[in-house]
This record gives sequence, structure tokens and C-alpha cells, in this order.
Amino acid sequence: MTTATAPARPARAARRLPAPPSFLRLCWIELRRSPMPLILPLIALLFWFDSYRPSTTQAPLYPLVTFWNLGQGHTIIDFGPFVAGMSAWIGSRDGRRNTVDLVSATPRPRWAAQLAAWASAAAWAVAGYLACIGVTFALYAHRGVAGSPPWWWVAVGACAVLAFSAAGFTAGTLLPNRFAAPIAAFGGFLVMMMSSQAGFADRSGWALILPSNSNGNFQADSGILYPWLPDLPIARTMFFAGITVAAISVAGLPAAAGGRRLRMTAAALTAAGLATTGTAVGLASTARLSAHGMVIPALHDAASDRLTSYTPVCTGTGFRVCVNPAYRRYLADTAAALAPAVASVAGLPGAPVRAVQGPAVYDSADGGGGQPVTISGSPPVLSVPLGAWSFLPGINGFSTGPDSVGAFRQSVWLLFGQAFVGAGHGPGTPAQQAVQAALLQRLGVPFADQPGLLGSIELTSGHPEPLPGPVAAAAGRLAALPAATRHAWLATHLAALRAGDVPLSQLP
Amino acid sequence: MTAATAHQAPAAPAAPQLATTGARLAWLYLVSRRIPAAAGLLGALGALLWIALAGHWNITGGPAARLVIPLVIETGAAGIIAVAGHGPFGETERATGRWLPWLRLGSTLALTGAAFAVLAAGATGGALPGGVPALLRDLAGITGTGLLAAAAIGGSFGWAGPMGYLLITEGALATGWGTPWIWPGRPAGDLGGALCAGAMFAAGLAAVTVAGVRSTRSRTALE
Repeated sequence: MTTATAPARPARAARRLPAPPSFLRLCWIELRRSPMPLILPLIALLFWFDSYRPSTTQAPLYPLVTFWNLGQGHTIIDFGPFVAGMSAWIGSRDGRRNTVDLVSATPRPRWAAQLAAWASAAAWAVAGYLACIGVTFALYAHRGVAGSPPWWWVAVGACAVLAFSAAGFTAGTLLPNRFAAPIAAFGGFLVMMMSSQAGFADRSGWALILPSNSNGNFQADSGILYPWLPDLPIARTMFFAGITVAAISVAGLPAAAGGRRLRMTAAALTAAGLATTGTAVGLASTARLSAHGMVIPALHDAASDRLTSYTPVCTGTGFRVCVNPAYRRYLADTAAALAPAVASVAGLPGAPVRAVQGPAVYDSADGGGGQPVTISGSPPVLSVPLGAWSFLPGINGFSTGPDSVGAFRQSVWLLFGQAFVGAGHGPGTPAQQAVQAALLQRLGVPFADQPGLLGSIELTSGHPEPLPGPVAAAAGRLAALPAATRHAWLATHLAALRAGDVPLSQLP
Repeated sequence: MTAATAHQAPAAPAAPQLATTGARLAWLYLVSRRIPAAAGLLGALGALLWIALAGHWNITGGPAARLVIPLVIETGAAGIIAVAGHGPFGETERATGRWLPWLRLGSTLALTGAAFAVLAAGATGGALPGGVPALLRDLAGITGTGLLAAAAIGGSFGWAGPMGYLLITEGALATGWGTPWIWPGRPAGDLGGALCAGAMFAAGLAAVTVAGVRSTRSRTALE
């Protein structure tokens, strides 16, 4: 072997330097070591008890099954305080271990390392939240819950979990002792309860931003007959995003957090977060109640106002009743309730020839009232807002027990009578009241029961009162007439009666 | 020094010295559990209860809804008591003598008593639902959940017991559950609720007295 043939010395392999400890690598380490997953089984158990279990007793319609857990923010109550407590524990780690000086000497700014710890904790918390929601919606799908899920409200919940984790983490960094976690969790509960305190009392203004406020902004037929309006959820998402940014940036303000430039950045982010939060509160203050939900003019998209198209399901041969497929379970009862009422006025001017389901209109009473039916068009069509009725047979979202089919029928007759005589949503003129009372009496509702029926569907405020004497007397006379005579009088006077031009004295 | 004096046993400490040593031991134990800080926090919760009652902080709703905010404050107090049981010394401390269970028992009872006292003082701010007897029952029972949680999962996380119980109670009150295990929903003089709350407190107290709060000696992320 000569030097010419000797194998060349292998080229020196390029020295592979270990990858610099990047922020993502730090995040990965924190993600693996985070104690947040330890609390998630407890939260999942509480979520099942407090958020999922109550929803199983509601009718299988998305606005009803999600009213308690997403509309009133119980998913946030289940997650937020615990996430805040655990995040505070994580945030107080260096302080509790007396390692602040040690970790401050590492190449990375202290705030960057804290951000990694917070991001991993928040990622676990949000993943847990989304997993619980995902399982819940999967169970709803298995149960056949109709409508579309309120995805925007899910996003609000996820952002709220982020905000609780950021606030708790920062509390832990500022109060690094054993009491940081219980104080943060207690603070989380107190905040949510105060949110309920203000939110349950206020139906407009800034209080709409509160996560447990469902007043007038989470009602039936959203996601079924029209889309969920995203306006208010967008404002709440902004609100929580602003709190998140502001809270986590506060951790970057102390001198130990990093250099001057970094602390200036943290200060700017804190200001930006607070500005975002304030903007969201301002936007919520401008919200107004529309037929399909809360509208915030600056955020509103007119496309959200369109009704959802669907192929109705119908029943009946002579008098057809058609409803949205989501309300299929109520179709037979509705048709059975309407049949005698329609038959009692058959042949009269304005008597409906078929019935369709109308969209429930949002109201400030959380949809708990009995919104009126309407008769319009030519030939006349009865529009029935099933979604607004709190007296649908069986369990529904606004009752404490199952409602009977008998009570449902009587309520339908009452609303039908009001529409037929032209009384609308109010009590009507004395003559309209008398004719309506007579129609109801002929359908089988005694005069004595009618005030209670009016009260039960919240068409009157306060205690139901008996019909005034002259009205009751006129109604009694009309009901006592032979059917043909009553029919003939109605055929002659219906137009004037609906216009409110018939005095009580003109009744036979 | 003579042989007679070389191996003379030291004189037994006088009774006042023993008392001083005992008091010092108790004080050092309380300091190691951050009891003074816990007492300060409990005082703040008492003031908060006074403000809440004086300011009529109520959630709109029935009688059950009016319980919620005082209950949250009582839960906060129970969480503080549970976390105060956490000890930083672990097995080292357990090997030091036979007085540890008594110190645990005494400090827990003292802190619970202090919590009751400050919350009862806070209850003078307005009408507390159920009055002071209900406060005693609810605080004792919820503290029991915290002590049990501290014994089971560690003193640092003992607060999860009262917070979890609060959430269950809130859901149960909203749906009208009547079981005595949801004692905050029972009338103040209800025997079943008092027995359940008392049993929970006794169980928690026994657990932390006999076994102590669970601690982790390894330097994991938890510690």
C-alpha cells in the first residue's frame, strides 16, 4: 500500500450541533411535564354531572339541550375555576421551589419560559374542553338531537378556558405560594357567580358580555329554522381573547421577566389586550334584540338573517299540517290539536286551509311565553311557532315536568281563537274576548278555566283574572246559540270584529 | 470532674420549660403550614362575606340561588384549610415523634374554628340564608371534603375537593335534589343534612389526623 493507494481519510463529518433549545422544544417539554392533565378527569366527571346530565332531560333540539351548558355558561363554570387553580399552581412553580434566580440566568428570557409553561397548560385545558364538548355532541348525535350545534358558543367556551388559564397562571407567578391555587380557583368561581348575578338580571347593555348571561340571546329555533347569530359570540370571544393576552402579558412586566425591550412588548400587549376587552364590552352594549337573536350592528352579517331551507314533514288529508323535520315528534299532537279548532270555524271568512310552522321570534323573556299563531295569505294559512311554545307535550326546555297533551291542546285552541278573532298577542277588545271565550267553551274549555289557561301560557301578566261580567255574559249567550246561528253571525261580523269595530253590545 | 459526676444524667427539664418547648413546637408546626397566612386569608373571606351580604349580592332565582354566593365564600375558606395541611417535609417529619397527629388535629380544628368565627362575623353584614347554624354545618361539611381530598391526592390539591363539591351542589340545587348529602340545600335544623356534614368533617379530620395529607417527595412537576 502506497500513499497513493491508501484509502483516503474519510472526510470529517460535519459536526452536528444539538438543536438550539427552541421555544417549541420548551413547549414540548412543558407539555409532557404539565400537571394539568391530572385535574382533567375530575373536571370531566363534573362536566358530566353539571353540563351533560341536565341536558339529557330536554327535548332533542339543539337550542334546548345546549341552553344550560352553553347558553348559561355551565361548561365554563365546570372548567374555568379548576383550570385557573391548576394554572396558578404551575405559574407559582419557580417561586415555590425558590428557583427564580436560577432560571433567570438561563439564555431564554424568563417570560418566554413562562409562556411555554402557560401555553402547554392552556393547550391541555382547551384540549380537555374540546374533548368533553366533542363527546357531548357525539352523544347528542347518537340520541338524534335535531338542528345544528352552536359552534360559535363552543368557541366562546374555549376562549374562556384560555382566559381562566392565563389569569390563573399570572396569579401564580405574582403570588408564588401554596395558596395561589385555591385563591385562583375561588376567584374563578366567584367571578362566574357574579357573572350569573348580573347576567340573570340584565337583558341588555354591557351585561350581555357576561358568559353566563343567556337572557334573550339563546333561544329556540336557532340552528333549526334560522342560523345561530354569531354577533354576540364574536364579541365574547374578543372579550376573552383580550383578557387572555392582557393577563399573560402582565407576567412579563416584572424586572425579572426579561430585558427592557421585552418588558415594553409585554406592556404594549397588556394595553392591547385591555383595549380588545373594552372594545368587546362596547360592542355588546350596542346589541339589540332581533327576531333571530342579538344583533351587534358592527359585527352583523345580513346573510345570517336568512331562514334555513328545509323539506317539511306533513300530515292530514283535508287540513294539512306541515312542520320542520326537527319538530316531527310534535306533528301528530299539533295536527290533533288543530283539527277541532279548525273544524269549528270551517267555512267562515279567514278560516285557515292549512298550517305551517313559523319561526319562533326571540323575546326578552327567554322564549318562555306563548307566542301567537297568525293567519295570513290567500287562501289563509295558519302559522304555528312551535319553537316558542313552552307547553309542548312532554319535557321541554322551559318546564320543570312533562306537559300533558290535554294542556297542549287547550293552549293551542286559545292561541288559535286569539288569531281567528284578530286579538293578536293581547287580550283584544271585549267583543273579541267574548267570541274567543265562546269558541273555547264550545271546544271544551269551561269559562272558569280560561283565565288560568291564559296565565299558563304567559299571555297575561300577574295573576289571571276572571272574564269581566259583561264579557262573560255575552260569551255565554254566544256559546248557547245553535251552531248555525252562531256561524251565521260570525260570517256577517267577522271582518268588523277583527278590525275591533264590534262593540260588546252587538253580540247576539 | 469525677467519675461520680461524669455520667450524671442531665437534670430533667422543669415543667415550665416543657410547656415552652411544647408551645414552640406547636408554633413552628403552624408556621410550617403557613397557618398565619391562612388565617389572614380567612379574615379576608369573612370581610368578603360581610360585603356580599350587606350589598345584597344575590343570583336572581329561588331560595336555592340565594345560597350560592355565601356558599362560594365558605368553599373558599374550606379550600384554604385543606391546602394549609400540606407539609413540606414528608417522611422526615413523620419520623420525628409521636406528636405529629396531635399537631395535625389541633391545627385543623383551630383553623376550622377560626374560619367559622370570621365567617360568622361576616354573616352580621346581612341575612345569611339559614343563619349561623347553617353556616357551621355547611362549612364543616365542605371542609371535610377538602380534608379528604388533601389526604387522598395531596395537600396542594386539597382545594379541588371543596370546589368539586360546590359544583355538584350548585347543579343539585338547580335541579331540586333533596338528598342530605347536599346539605347546603337542606333547612338549617335538618338532622339528616347535619349528620351528613358532620360525618364528612369527621372523616376528613380523622384522615388528616391519622394518615396526614398526602405528600410527594420526588421532585416532579407536581412539587
